[in-house]
Amino acid sequence: MRVVVAAPQVPFVHGGAEVMADDLVAALRARGHEATLVTMPFKWYPGARVLDQAFLWRLADLTESDGRPIDRVIATKFPAYCVRHPNKVAWVLHQFRQAYDYDRTELGQFSEEPFDRATRRAVERLDAVALGEARKVFATSRNVADRLQRFNGIDAEVLPHPPQALPYRSGEPEGYVFSVGRLDRAKRLDLLIEAAKREPSLRVVIAGEGPDADRLRGLANGNVEFLGRVDDERLADLYARCSAVYYAPIDEDFGMVPYEAFLAGKPVLTTTDAGGPLEVVRDRVTGVVVAPDAAELGRGAAYLVGHVDEAKAWGVAGRAVAERVTWDACVDALLS
Amino acid sequence: MKVAYFSPMPPSRSGIADYSALLLPALRERIEVVVAEPGRRAPSADVALYHVGNDPEAHGWIVDALRKRPGVVVLHEYVLHHLISGITIGRGDGRGYLDAMERELGVAGRLLGLGVLDNLLPLLWETQPERFPLAGTILDDARGLIVHSDFVARAARAAGYDGRLWRIPHPAWPMHEVTAASDVSGDPLIGCFGFLNMNKRIPELLQAFASLRAKRPGARLLLAGAAGERFDLTRRLERLGLGDGITRLDYVPEERMWSLMAACDVLVNLRFPTMGETSGSVIRGLSLGKAMVVSDVGWFAELPDDVALKVPVDDVEVPMLEAALGFAAEHASELGANARAYVAREHDLAHAADEYAAALEIAAGGDAVDDAVLWRIAEAAAEVGIDDAPALARAAVESGILE
Repeated sequence: MRVVVAAPQVPFVHGGAEVMADDLVAALRARGHEATLVTMPFKWYPGARVLDQAFLWRLADLTESDGRPIDRVIATKFPAYCVRHPNKVAWVLHQFRQAYDYDRTELGQFSEEPFDRATRRAVERLDAVALGEARKVFATSRNVADRLQRFNGIDAEVLPHPPQALPYRSGEPEGYVFSVGRLDRAKRLDLLIEAAKREPSLRVVIAGEGPDADRLRGLANGNVEFLGRVDDERLADLYARCSAVYYAPIDEDFGMVPYEAFLAGKPVLTTTDAGGPLEVVRDRVTGVVVAPDAAELGRGAAYLVGHVDEAKAWGVAGRAVAERVTWDACVDALLS
Repeated sequence: MKVAYFSPMPPSRSGIADYSALLLPALRERIEVVVAEPGRRAPSADVALYHVGNDPEAHGWIVDALRKRPGVVVLHEYVLHHLISGITIGRGDGRGYLDAMERELGVAGRLLGLGVLDNLLPLLWETQPERFPLAGTILDDARGLIVHSDFVARAARAAGYDGRLWRIPHPAWPMHEVTAASDVSGDPLIGCFGFLNMNKRIPELLQAFASLRAKRPGARLLLAGAAGERFDLTRRLERLGLGDGITRLDYVPEERMWSLMAACDVLVNLRFPTMGETSGSVIRGLSLGKAMVVSDVGWFAELPDDVALKVPVDDVEVPMLEAALGFAAEHASELGANARAYVAREHDLAHAADEYAAALEIAAGGDAVDDAVLWRIAEAAAEVGIDDAPALARAAVESGILE
């Protein structure tokens, strides 16, 4: 099959969504399909700019390329899934959350002014059109599928994707809690940093960059080490040597980090309001789940560091969960 | 964002006042609402919402406000002849009535209007309002239109309304514990609630019930509601010899109505001609899980076949009605379960309030958003010599980005 993977790109940003799109192209090619990534820059502000960007996708003709038909388009995110194609499949990592669950929260974008309210409604309408015309809608987690149903009345099949390919290995825990990802407010690293202040014995290692980096560095004490961006080998090593992995964004869509942690045989520390991660992180089964409170997190982290055998067992249980998610299953579903 | 809300409100005895009392609290959870009051200055707001029905007493001031400031209109019924005549002829504005008739039917309409004004023709709002709905002058001032049925949506489009239109089902009342009245009974007990007149097909209902009772002597018909001025119900009942087959109650308060409905096995709500209205009484009955018999017209015809038995208004109406009443009594439990599920699915209050909030937000800011997007697209195109803005607009509309 000739397949286009359509994904938006925020220039200079490379996170889980970009990794997933690249990996999907690689997985399709590895299974004998002709696959390529089509992307366009995405800027969602100010005002109604988000709609212009959707319109760019709408205007893109992906029905054929160089005189040969394109058999399928797999679109991963808003606004890429606005593209028109008779065999479009949406594999939704997330919608434009500012228009939905983030609306009227500190993570929202739209004010109470009529212009902003109407822009939000236009995004809603656009999703109804764009996803409504897809031959099938998949969601990467139950959390995302539930949002599609709650906000748009769209039924989506849950299809998680495997995490990025790293040289995963498991090593002896060295007593630190590890966090990796984009440093922005939604990832809630300030909670972990505050926990480290309350538990003086707790060591925290944070990898990644992002707009919230300076603020987070300002909050941290000497127990917290910031590594910035790390390469794959170093990342696998950091996973292998940690005692546990912290991952507690607010109502996250899916999150590859728990799967990566599990493949390194490590338990995950998360919170009861983390959303998607809770579909695989079960308290005292594959990690520890606590209330979103620094003191609670501090105690949870200390428990995982101090109870090595239990932490190992939960990490191994997590690995069994992660190994069930394969590219074979994903590709079969997306091309069926 | 703020909404100015124009509607009759309780204690006004109108279905639209009941509707607003039901909707407002849910709507206020989603959007800021200021309720306008008759005789007082219209509140300042980003958008105004006008509930329009056919009663000039209840809605005249609302239409006055609409004319001063166009906004979103909720058309609770399509036939507004009584309203328009009341706020034109009733206020000594014969020319206004002629204008409305001309808007409806052109020169012929104006001439008909003159005939009415000169007492050469009967009063059209009393004799055949459904032929001259006169909704056009209201639609002309609507910057958005909310209707409850496809029937009214089609009629509005046919009248030339081409603006934004939302079909929002009439919300159902949240179910509370209802104790069935113990002072009424029958085998089966058939209930008919609301204003009783020719439009409600009461003569046909009485004939059909008389036939049914001849076969099922235990059957009783509960008629609850005020009778029309020119409708001599008592004499009709005497003539048919229905005697103790009929339980007759005048206007009943809300709680008593629920209780009486709950006691019935079958509810019947007939209509012809229809004014394009939605029946709050039918919604209440379906919420209670009652088997329902209606006329196959207007909004009533849009009810699912497995929820309401629909009787055509034609020369076999009476025997069909008798059969439908009998069938409904036999299958009351099955029909009632379907009714309850249907109301939960289609007439959910929270869903209706969500739809209202969306409609009002789009009505308030949608044009500016459309303009902003089109402007940037047109600008980019114009810079390279493509300046056919209408074509761009069509593309945006086709793609779903713009309405």
